[in-house]
Amino acid sequence: MEKDEINRNMHILKTGVLSPAKRWSSKWSLWPCHFVTSCCGVELAHAFACGFDGERLGTLNMGISRQANFIIVEGTITRKMARALRIVWEQMPDPKFVNVIGACGQRGGIFWNSYNITRPSEIVPVDFFIPGCPITPESLLRGVRAVQDKIDGKDETTIKFKKVALPSDGTGQESTVPTSPKRFAPTPLVKLDIPRDVDWAFGSTMVGNLKSQLGGLYKSITITDKNRIAIKTAPEDLVDVARKLSGNMGLDHVKSVNVIDVPHERKFILEYMVSSYSSSELMPVIISIFTEIGREAEPEFPSLTPLWESADYSEREMHDFFGIKYEGNSGMNAKFLLAPETQTPLRKDFKLAEESYVYDESVPLNPEIELTSDLKMPAPEELYDEAEASDEFMILVGPHHTGSGHLRWILRVKGDRIVDVTPDPGYVHRSMEKIAENRLYIQNIPLYERANISDPFCMNLGYVHVIEKALEIEVPERAKYIRTMLAELSRIGAFFYDSGIFALFTGHSTGFMYVWAIREMILEATVRMTGSRCTPSFIIPGGIRRDVSKDVLDMISNFVSAVNKRLKKFEDIFIYNPVFIARTKGVGVLTKQEAIKYGLVGPFLRASGVDYDIRKVEPYEAYDKFNWEVTTGDAGDCLGRYMGRYEEIKQSLSILKQAVDALKKMPRGDVISEAVLGDYKAASEDIKGHFYHAYGNLVLPKGEWTSVVESARGTLLHSIISDGDSNVPYRSRIVTPCWMNLRGIVEASKGERVADFWTIYGSFGYFPPEADR
Amino acid sequence: MEQVINELLETIMSNQLNVPVLQPILDSVSQLPMVGLIVSFILWKPVFALLICPGLSTVGILLLFFPWIERKLCARIQWRVGPREIVPWLGGLIQLIADTLRFLFQEVIVHRDAHRPYFLQFPFLSFLAALLPLLFLNAGNVMAIETPYAIQALLALVCLFPFFILGLGWASNSRFAFIGTVREAFMYFAYEVSFIIAVLAMIILFGTSNPMLMADKPWGIILNPIAAFTFFVGAAMATSRMPFEIPEADQEVAAGPHVEYSGIAFGLIYVMCYEKAYILAGLMTVLFLGGGSGPVIIAGLGELNGVMWFLIKTVIVLTTLFVLRTIYPRYRLDQGLNIGWGVMISLSLIALALSIVLVQGGVI
Repeated sequence: MEKDEINRNMHILKTGVLSPAKRWSSKWSLWPCHFVTSCCGVELAHAFACGFDGERLGTLNMGISRQANFIIVEGTITRKMARALRIVWEQMPDPKFVNVIGACGQRGGIFWNSYNITRPSEIVPVDFFIPGCPITPESLLRGVRAVQDKIDGKDETTIKFKKVALPSDGTGQESTVPTSPKRFAPTPLVKLDIPRDVDWAFGSTMVGNLKSQLGGLYKSITITDKNRIAIKTAPEDLVDVARKLSGNMGLDHVKSVNVIDVPHERKFILEYMVSSYSSSELMPVIISIFTEIGREAEPEFPSLTPLWESADYSEREMHDFFGIKYEGNSGMNAKFLLAPETQTPLRKDFKLAEESYVYDESVPLNPEIELTSDLKMPAPEELYDEAEASDEFMILVGPHHTGSGHLRWILRVKGDRIVDVTPDPGYVHRSMEKIAENRLYIQNIPLYERANISDPFCMNLGYVHVIEKALEIEVPERAKYIRTMLAELSRIGAFFYDSGIFALFTGHSTGFMYVWAIREMILEATVRMTGSRCTPSFIIPGGIRRDVSKDVLDMISNFVSAVNKRLKKFEDIFIYNPVFIARTKGVGVLTKQEAIKYGLVGPFLRASGVDYDIRKVEPYEAYDKFNWEVTTGDAGDCLGRYMGRYEEIKQSLSILKQAVDALKKMPRGDVISEAVLGDYKAASEDIKGHFYHAYGNLVLPKGEWTSVVESARGTLLHSIISDGDSNVPYRSRIVTPCWMNLRGIVEASKGERVADFWTIYGSFGYFPPEADR
Repeated sequence: MEQVINELLETIMSNQLNVPVLQPILDSVSQLPMVGLIVSFILWKPVFALLICPGLSTVGILLLFFPWIERKLCARIQWRVGPREIVPWLGGLIQLIADTLRFLFQEVIVHRDAHRPYFLQFPFLSFLAALLPLLFLNAGNVMAIETPYAIQALLALVCLFPFFILGLGWASNSRFAFIGTVREAFMYFAYEVSFIIAVLAMIILFGTSNPMLMADKPWGIILNPIAAFTFFVGAAMATSRMPFEIPEADQEVAAGPHVEYSGIAFGLIYVMCYEKAYILAGLMTVLFLGGGSGPVIIAGLGELNGVMWFLIKTVIVLTTLFVLRTIYPRYRLDQGLNIGWGVMISLSLIALALSIVLVQGGVI
């Protein structure tokens, strides 16, 4: 950033005879350029939707940078996004203004020591910072006001920091700085196949079956938990084992591809988690196949993509993270998620800055960040050449595009038909998996929640489930019901989020506004229960933070009837709109076979006719106590995917109603399991004040712990590898539904018309921060 | 020389706008030497049409306030408030003035790949081209150029618009502009034919193409509703309104031909689309809604009655056209073409047949 950039815009406004007119018009016509950079975009949308209506201030969201004069940088700017931010800023005509919202845009916030983030203030001159994680719409609008004031000439420091002396505890002793409570085992024992005695009859038959099928190809087959089996093989046998499992056993998709770096034993553990959509008794079973290979600079290993297409993108991801070359996977020449010059960050010798719990002037608040060198590179050269040779037209969509979200799509079109779509994700990759290895188990709850702030409770639940599973914690009945209620609330919220975006993608802004109004009610309920709109971190191991009061329950049951009424209006204007149906019917069809092949998850899989819902397959919380049905469709097109979800939401509303009714009858009482609390029994109704005492030294038993939950957009898989000694995870793997659905968007778009790409994209409810993590 | 001037004066004075309410003021003003002449010049009907209504002043005022009406109305439909804080007690009425000024003071970027001369010329040229049809539009019995071929001339000038949009897109030399331009070209052919046939149907029906004479006839929308519908949908296609906002699809091709324009150049394009809509709405008023005729005639206003009713009807048509965007999503290009070449052509031909039947049957 050049020095004179900082004051250039104000200089333009302050000079000239017409300066008052310039200032007045700029002040009331701040058009933010639609540049969604991270998850704060959800709250930005709320600020400009009908709840808060930013247009009151004359700020009209404009899709195109050339016509806007205001950027609202929404949170994290990753190394990849830095380039886009700079280009967008340069594209805008002077005078222009920049607001940065969200904590991560200032000093990184919760991702402060991530290897992939940059500071926006080093890329573009920033006029105003709005703190919060995420910010609230009110504060965003206040930020707009602040820029207006600045244009008016009232450029004051709005927040004054002052130093305060902490009150002494009365003992007269100087307070000491607490040391970092983290504990790393010096030579951790990393084993994925720790046996566990579980009451699982099918397990032993399954193991016997596997043994006879695999012959001598395996080293060991272990039951690690209920519904979890680990198969250890030699590296050269892995492909054969995979072939047998996919061919004979009906294990048809990969749930996760994982690599664990064990430097002190000079090995990588390569792991594939597979499961089945086609056989109903195998549905809940997750089989993990793993092998160990030598730890070299660039180890090579045969890819399993030819057997399981669904492993494709995850293998590319592991290639980025660990530098492992999967032979046979076509994406091994370039980085997929990360910026091109990034090293292999998830290897253990790549260290992140260590956090200190007390402000110390000698410790820099931010680690040094080198800006990306390739600020101008538009797209892989070879793609251009290929397209030119084959008489195709290439369109680069995003990351700054009204219809792109935070990732880039490279469309290759012939006439009006899409030939190929190349996704370029990673624009919001905030390196959660690496950060999680450096934080206490309990600190990772808010971290993983940031993967998807439009569906926060399911994100919470997914992570907390792993811990509960590993520690075998039984959650109190009331807490289970509340969790179910929260998860359904969050599912409904996420559906409305996606409907709004879908409506926008088809050009229907009223549809967007209507559902956003309903979402506002959900957030209101969330605030009443948890105190936060989008990031409550309310679900904790062993229960929930505090009990939910009766008036909130009343509010939620009122909410259900209010939603039904408003949904009717939404149906009339959007869902049954003839134009909408014409746009979506028969577009982007994925057959059942294709859906299974590409490993789709959640409602998008069910729309293609696969009856797979984890809430039924492997019931958790109180789902088995309610009366509800899984909705499946067989059309597999955009309309089917959308309507499937719509029906599902009606089921969710019914679950919500049932849960609230049950909770009203239930006596108030413990919401946190006593097994976790130990000596802090006083906290069983409200954990406030006891958090770190009760949870600070949580250590998971040795082994790998995997849990799947049905989040709003599909299967959320969390897998933690613990060495049984450290109070931080050794390796934490999260596979989000959107990441698995990415392939579905690509495949469904092929052969469709250009404009259909956005309906397909919208119908998949793709939330880039969740996919990129 | 004196004779020429006298003749000219006579022409001017013989064709004055007749407004009884203003007559006393005009009488007193006309005593003044120069001012009286200027006032009578302005009130000379062709000049009045050109400068006041339906000409430049109306366009200017409409451009400044109509987008506000649109934004407020859409906001109400969408459970919002719309622009407000700029003057809260007027509901943000002057929002568009701020926007226009802001565009005026902003940098105009000409990017490296653009064809510089055309890139800068086309916004201005297209703005002018969008004004030309006003010469043949009448508000009541005020009209700039009175000719029996006014509707045809107007239609010919209206059909010029898309060329300028093509020019904009071509000069931008950007991928999205290119796709948007091609879409515009496709859509142009799709709506144009049926649109013209619908107008022809009305000309046949009325037996004249002089808009002044159409006002005395019954409303076109009652005589031939099919033509009215075809015309309205055609107008929505021509002005890229929802559900046919295909060339400028924001989420797909990032505003298409306009994607590279900034500052006042974009401001001109932005108002051009409103101008276009205004002219088509005016034409719709003339052809289908009885032009300047109205149920209530205020005696004092004299010939301004026609002007008033014309404006009221035009604004209603405009509003309907613009509010469509809150009701419909967007069709795909091929669906738009299908509608244009299929349904719309059939409807326009039916409308034509209906007109011929009505005329032959002696209904009109």
